[in-house]
Amino acid sequence: MDILVCPVCKGELELTVEEENEKEIVTGSLYCAKCDVRYPIEETIPNLLPPE
Amino acid sequence: MNDDEIRQVVRETYARIARERGGTAVTDPNAGSCCGPQQAAGDASCCAPQNMDSAQSCCAPQSSASCCGPADAAAMAVGYTKEELQSIPESAGMGLGCGNPTALASLSEGEVVVDLGAGGGIDCFLAAHAVGKYGKVIGVDMTPDMVSAARTNAQRGGYENVDFRLGEIEHLPVADDSADVVISNCVINLSPDKPQVFREAFRTLRPGGRVMVSDIVLCGELPDAIKSSLTAYTGCISGALPVEEYLAAITAAGFSDAEVVSKTAVGSGELEGVVASVNVRAVKPV
Repeated sequence: MDILVCPVCKGELELTVEEENEKEIVTGSLYCAKCDVRYPIEETIPNLLPPE
Repeated sequence: MNDDEIRQVVRETYARIARERGGTAVTDPNAGSCCGPQQAAGDASCCAPQNMDSAQSCCAPQSSASCCGPADAAAMAVGYTKEELQSIPESAGMGLGCGNPTALASLSEGEVVVDLGAGGGIDCFLAAHAVGKYGKVIGVDMTPDMVSAARTNAQRGGYENVDFRLGEIEHLPVADDSADVVISNCVINLSPDKPQVFREAFRTLRPGGRVMVSDIVLCGELPDAIKSSLTAYTGCISGALPVEEYLAAITAAGFSDAEVVSKTAVGSGELEGVVASVNVRAVKPV
């Protein structure tokens, strides 16, 4: 998790967990305050594609 | 074609491959091109057009020396061993690589590895074995279907030291100075902005870290019809840089000692002597 950063500004991301199991986060989001962009986590996969 | 169009077409092409090959064994004997889309396997492919002598192909999926399915035959032709292929989930390799970067990266236990364009995860899983439970492998791919397939493969194989994330290799979601090794296999040629890919690899590597990539490069001039072909682009040809330009882009990103470790001619017909598969290494200075 500490290796994950915003793909645009490379700043820290704030994690919100909606659903997790014993191993990992299943659903949630990663929020970049600087860019004001929320990157979703769906089915355990963080979607860190830069916004269009 | 502009950069967005290229990215879109590449994503659509590889999403289709992920859906076709991601969950099941490959059964089409011509599906094992190192350069990806089967649709590119006509005159615009660097590899294995169906009407070509397989001895001239870099991938040789028709080879009778194979123990296994055609995807494995293609994988062995580009440098994977039978033992390596047997050690990873079956559908992790989709016959899309043009080398075996992990084998050349001299990985050690505990290292952090980033794979640019991880696909079904083949190189991530091999790297995961090498770096062990104290190491970490991060696979980045911009195609949702590929990441899903890789994720499924990781679950099948019980990998706990591999993470996959959706991302662009030109905008890596990876912190500065956090990786020991960046690997990539036949993907950077697909990027519309290769210098940016190398700058991002440089940024994410710690000082002393290294890049070890397998890719397609040009050793001569492409025919005009192929240069402008999107199909040849997704087939890993028309996006390829001349080898000198490739090395110069790596050096311009800040790396030292950029060198071609090995080179294999892969073109045939009008591409003979024009296209090559290379393994390239470079180091981020301390």
